[in-house]
Amino acid sequence: MSEITEASHGDLLVMLRHAPHGGLWLREALDLALVGAAFGQSVSLLLMGDGVWALLQGQGSGPLGQKGSQSTFEMLEMYDIERLYVDVDSLAARGLTRDDLLLPVIEVSTPELSTVLAGHRQIFNF
Amino acid sequence: MLLHLLNRAPSSSSVHQDVLRTMGEEDGLMLIEDGVFGAVSAQVQHFPGLEGRLFALREDLESRGLAGRCDSRVIIVDMDGFVALTEEVQRTVSWF
Amino acid sequence: MATTQATRYITVEGRDIGLDPEGFVVDLAAWTPAVAEALAAEEGRELTLEHWEVLEVLRAFYARYENAPAMRPLVKAVGQALGPDKGRSLHLMRLFPESPAKVGARLAGLPKPTNCL
Repeated sequence: MSEITEASHGDLLVMLRHAPHGGLWLREALDLALVGAAFGQSVSLLLMGDGVWALLQGQGSGPLGQKGSQSTFEMLEMYDIERLYVDVDSLAARGLTRDDLLLPVIEVSTPELSTVLAGHRQIFNF
Repeated sequence: MLLHLLNRAPSSSSVHQDVLRTMGEEDGLMLIEDGVFGAVSAQVQHFPGLEGRLFALREDLESRGLAGRCDSRVIIVDMDGFVALTEEVQRTVSWF
Repeated sequence: MATTQATRYITVEGRDIGLDPEGFVVDLAAWTPAVAEALAAEEGRELTLEHWEVLEVLRAFYARYENAPAMRPLVKAVGQALGPDKGRSLHLMRLFPESPAKVGARLAGLPKPTNCL
């Protein structure tokens, strides 16, 4: 399924497990990722659990005009944040496939999850 | 080796399933705050295969009246032990 | 952002443009090239063609991503739009001494880059 080895690693792993729109977790996670990258850290994102909803296509802004996160996700590549890991089981459990997502992702199977975590110097869990 | 910290009870949150899927074979799991409800005998089956690396924080067990109900498969650690443990591992990951 | 309060105003072509405490334009829609000229003049800067092409890159970045870029992504965006010779920190530092991302965003009428300290 994938190219995940001990060698694929980085300085910072930002894990996102909370759904978008219901709280500030997503915003905080993305801010942290961007700050890290702005300071020259190599940053990866891992979406699991309800965090995978954050990449769903077709999201709008909130009822009070809260900004969506689509444009921020698209901006990640400008910060050289190119490793966007997604837990495949979390996708499947929600009836999603990678075709439902905004951006190309690296799919991670359950046995590979611990490798992704072990491959980063620091882990932040949102 | 990572030390995962979990502060949710398995009976009220499914986050423990994500923790278990993410843990490496050497990683430890430390139950803290409401996480210690998972250490009682009737709940500990939510954490299979973690013998010798499943911990619960004594202070949180005691404050919830669970000190005598903690399953024998769970290693009870006090705050000092917890601190020592976090110093030994490469890093900790908090789950909530 | 709607919540930002103007703490002072600069008069450009007969209109009062509200600025926040750090000199960023409060109402993004109020920005015109003349505002950029006025802000630059206040600081003793003169905007050349090379400045303007970077300001255009900044505005395009904001239009696409809804965020003002920090330094690294700004360098990358300038490189993509204007070529590798200009997509370098040195070029941007020369044009906008001190903090290119911050100064550039201010002159381009964007909010302060959130992830730029």
